[in-house]
Amino acid sequence: MTAIYTIWGYYARWTARWPAMAAFVPFVPLIAAWGFIAWLEIFPPVFLPGPVEVVERAWTLLYKGILTDYLADSLSRLAVGAAVGMCIAIPLGVLIGLSRRAHDFAWPILLFFQAIGDIAWLPILLVWFGFGLTTMTFVIVYTVLFPVVLNTVLGIRSVKPELRRAAQSLGASKPRILLEVTLPGALPNIITGLRNGLGYGWRALIAAEIIVGTSGIGFLMFDARRAGSVEEIVVGMIVLGILWYIVDSWFLAPIERATGQRWGLVTS
Amino acid sequence: MKSLALENLSKTYFDPYRGTQHTAIKDVSLKVDEGDFVAVVGPSGCGKSTILNMIAGFVPTSGGRIMVGGREVRGPGPDRGVVFQSFALFPWKTVAENVTFGPKMRGASKEERAKIAEEYLALAGLSHAADRYPNELSGGMQQRVGVVRALANNPDVLLMDEPFASVDAQTRMTLQEELTKIWEERRPTVIFITHDVSEAVFLANKVVVLSKGHVLEEVDIPLKRPRVWDDLVEDEAFKTLSNHVLQLVRRA
Ligand SMILES: Nc1ncnc2c1ncn2[C@@H]1O[C@H](COP(=O)(O)OP(=O)(O)O)[C@@H](O)[C@H]1O
Ligand SMILES: [Mg+2]
Repeated sequence: MTAIYTIWGYYARWTARWPAMAAFVPFVPLIAAWGFIAWLEIFPPVFLPGPVEVVERAWTLLYKGILTDYLADSLSRLAVGAAVGMCIAIPLGVLIGLSRRAHDFAWPILLFFQAIGDIAWLPILLVWFGFGLTTMTFVIVYTVLFPVVLNTVLGIRSVKPELRRAAQSLGASKPRILLEVTLPGALPNIITGLRNGLGYGWRALIAAEIIVGTSGIGFLMFDARRAGSVEEIVVGMIVLGILWYIVDSWFLAPIERATGQRWGLVTS
Repeated sequence: MKSLALENLSKTYFDPYRGTQHTAIKDVSLKVDEGDFVAVVGPSGCGKSTILNMIAGFVPTSGGRIMVGGREVRGPGPDRGVVFQSFALFPWKTVAENVTFGPKMRGASKEERAKIAEEYLALAGLSHAADRYPNELSGGMQQRVGVVRALANNPDVLLMDEPFASVDAQTRMTLQEELTKIWEERRPTVIFITHDVSEAVFLANKVVVLSKGHVLEEVDIPLKRPRVWDDLVEDEAFKTLSNHVLQLVRRA
């Protein structure tokens, strides 16, 4: 028993030093199981390649610069789409959150279009814009839009009325109240919306790349299917997971910690 | 600081679910002189918050007038500082930023604000906590910030709605003594709402007993100052006055 505790102690200290490593550890048994099943060759290797083959393939793709190019393509599409989406969604959410009339007008429309999933737009988008960047950007903007709008509305409405009253009694004008009270109060929810939106947007982007892409991780995976390279498909899948982990835990989560959690608005 | 007058004030709430009218305040008249400290007591639901919210301009009146320094109140404004039961500090602003929010809104420069922060944080005994966020402070400390945030904006009248009701009993007595001390030194015009009779008698020059939306009686509190709890707990005059007000509140 004590040996287990000692090992656990080492592990705890080690992961505290390198948190990124701590995130990798849970995957060790998963990869081991995968390697074992592949090694047994229950399925033929062309169906299920082992970890070693996949890493080799990833290395080749990296070496040729294909992986990095495609990665950059996917990420910049996500960034552009998310930026445009936020520029529309946050002001819209603020407006709907503040004005009863705007809410009554926009809400049914929002719910209607929310029901039409991002991918359901692809057929008509292909007719309108063809196979290209516009179509993909549209899909991401569309996907990012709803969670950000809905969470912004929620955030604006959850600002305690007493805070606005306090600001009014201290002489704040309406625009100042919006800037100093309403928006910061809604910020934690806006960030949550953004986090969800980016997550959905990332998935929608890969789907869009599979269908309309000429580059990008989604395209890489679909193209590999055509070429019969299962290794490459698996490389694509793994890259998707790793990348999302990095975006979420290195960028989004720290922003969340620095705002809502710091201010005591959300408990971690 | 200026005087405050309520003239035949009334408030009727409409209940949209039942379709009925509910009169919370009927015909309340009250004068608070410049530099006076008036406490309003009464059982829960008798309309104390309604009166304060109307003076603050948060809710419209149904009848009568509210005059502050000779001008009629229309909506909230920096001439009436408010201290809330829930503190209502801005969670995303540091203690110093909270205290200087009012001056910032009227365009005070950075240097000016730094001076104001220094002065008022010292008044609250919170100079060490200037850069902390409200959620890092105890309830008592948060309400100290709430009080000096209102004072730092130099209001004509200070409105306080059960400001010490959500802190523990010991802290409450300390806060009451601190508020008394500040009032004795600076003489702001204060309206202090509470359901705690001894708190009202301890702090105020005059206690107004409210009952079902109207004034039952105004009781003068001629206790000498400075007031501290150590002197007053055994004081006969304090006990007599407290008992008298308590009887009124229980009848209310
Ligand atoms: N916004 C409101 N709408 C309807 N009725 C209200 C509202 N605010 C207060 N009331 C009613 O007015 C009366 C007085 O309430 P309030 O002023 O909060 O009393 P107190 O602060 O003395 O406890 C109560 O009967 C309460 O139910
Ligand atoms: Mg009340």
